[in-house]
Amino acid sequence: MRAGGGLFAAALFTPITVVYLVFLLAPIGFFLMMSVFRYSPMELWQPAFTADNFVRLLSEEHYRVIIFRTLEIAALTTVFSLMLGFPLAYFLARTGSIWRGVLMFLVIAPLMTGVIVRTYGWIVLLGSEGTVNVVLMWLGVIDEPVKILETQVAVLVALVHILMPYMVFPLFSSLASQDPDVERAAATLGAGRWRIFFEVTLPLSRAGILMGSALVFTLTAGAVVTPALLGGSKVQMLGQTIYDLVLSTLNWPFASAVAFVLVFCQFSIIFLYLKGGRRRVG
Amino acid sequence: MSAKPTSAPSARYLNASSAVARYGMGVLITAIYVFLLAPVVIIVFTSFNPTESNTFPPTGFSLRWYGAFLESSSFIEAFKFSVWLGAIAAVGATTIGFLSSYAIVRFLGRRREAGQSLALLPVMIPHILISISLLLALTIVPFPELGGLIVGHVIICLPFTIAGITASLEGVDEQLELAAMTLGASRLRTLWEVVIPLIAPGLLSALIFAFIVSFGDVYIALFLSGPGRTTLPIEIFSYMQWESTPVVAAITTVQIMLIVTLGLVVERLVGLRKIMRV
Repeated sequence: MRAGGGLFAAALFTPITVVYLVFLLAPIGFFLMMSVFRYSPMELWQPAFTADNFVRLLSEEHYRVIIFRTLEIAALTTVFSLMLGFPLAYFLARTGSIWRGVLMFLVIAPLMTGVIVRTYGWIVLLGSEGTVNVVLMWLGVIDEPVKILETQVAVLVALVHILMPYMVFPLFSSLASQDPDVERAAATLGAGRWRIFFEVTLPLSRAGILMGSALVFTLTAGAVVTPALLGGSKVQMLGQTIYDLVLSTLNWPFASAVAFVLVFCQFSIIFLYLKGGRRRVG
Repeated sequence: MSAKPTSAPSARYLNASSAVARYGMGVLITAIYVFLLAPVVIIVFTSFNPTESNTFPPTGFSLRWYGAFLESSSFIEAFKFSVWLGAIAAVGATTIGFLSSYAIVRFLGRRREAGQSLALLPVMIPHILISISLLLALTIVPFPELGGLIVGHVIICLPFTIAGITASLEGVDEQLELAAMTLGASRLRTLWEVVIPLIAPGLLSALIFAFIVSFGDVYIALFLSGPGRTTLPIEIFSYMQWESTPVVAAITTVQIMLIVTLGLVVERLVGLRKIMRV
């Protein structure tokens, strides 16, 4: 099949190569390069090298707060997604239930509805007359509605909900590919349930955990719509900052510097992922 | 989970603790599913609410908000535009995805894994970065903004069409293509008359799933939509920044029904798991 197919294969790869190079990599490269350009109120940007954007980003209190808040929310979202996603993935990978297909579909279905639908669902749930407040008052936990919207908690809960499936899928792949006999062997040799989990199952799921965490962390760090609608102006994150800088002030160079932080975080995570993966093999 | 105790003394202890663990696991899994599905279910309930506020439980049953949706020309226009955009992006992403998938499966040999990872690149890049970069590029290069929006959607759909189609192609016996070519069919004719009919369900699934991805997207459209090309999620997003009446619930319920129906079709055809790569 491969003989004489070189030209044909090249032709088949042409459209995707063009699309990725021209419309994905080149624009992103140019946008990130913008971070070392000078901002000008008249021409928006001048191709003159400067480190001003990064200096401003790191020296102004306002932006430092946003960076740390973003990292904090991203880290918490990743941890909670893992804590909820692992039992779910474990259950889906090991269950013999005839409903497994349906249960799997129910994890994918919310994901397909899109970010805006799920964010709206949380607005309804967490509002002052929302279900959560109604239930808490009925249970007698609180006397009057508490304000949940426009707090960091609301943003966190919704982000965990929206991004958890991205954690479940790699975990599921990892867990489903493990031979159940390995766990049985550990049990036969006298290991308890917890010991089996921590010394057999968890280490074998490492690739899935790292992959899922990398995905959830990056996607949280880049979130705009959910923090904007659930957190309002009080829980501003990096994504919204970039959005505002571009759409209201047209300060492309500074927006690029902010985006650079996002990309830097992502590359660090991917680096850790690759390092972790290699250690697992070696 | 199912530890098979072989040593007699600990057997009874293990059985008791295993019952507790199973019960606890059941409660935990149920709670996680409630968490996953509650925001979607609540929207459907709210859409039939007769009152102005997003209260739950509903105080009655009314189709008032569906009427409001049908009367709102801006939401209807956005809905139509999203369907149009989704259809174009789906055809584009499936066509390009098919060509690349075929090349990945048949021609890359040992480098296949690397090729596939490269093809899935857009999943690993925050979508906001993709769309903001496209917007910047469009301020410099004279290219229609509508074109930018379409290409952006094709890019975010491609990883899913490629994952689905490569999975389908794995089920095709290469011998069939070789036989067609031995009998004198050109490579293109072999693709058209042998490969495409064999993976038709996979291609249809890719089309539908790409439509779903495009329809739900908010980040690409966040920077690239504009007058006359506002997608439904963007229309909802801008509406919600000012007010939040159950008309949004009615619209999103229509969206949920549409998406879940399409998702079920894909599930029947090839299985969603193949496309989500799980």
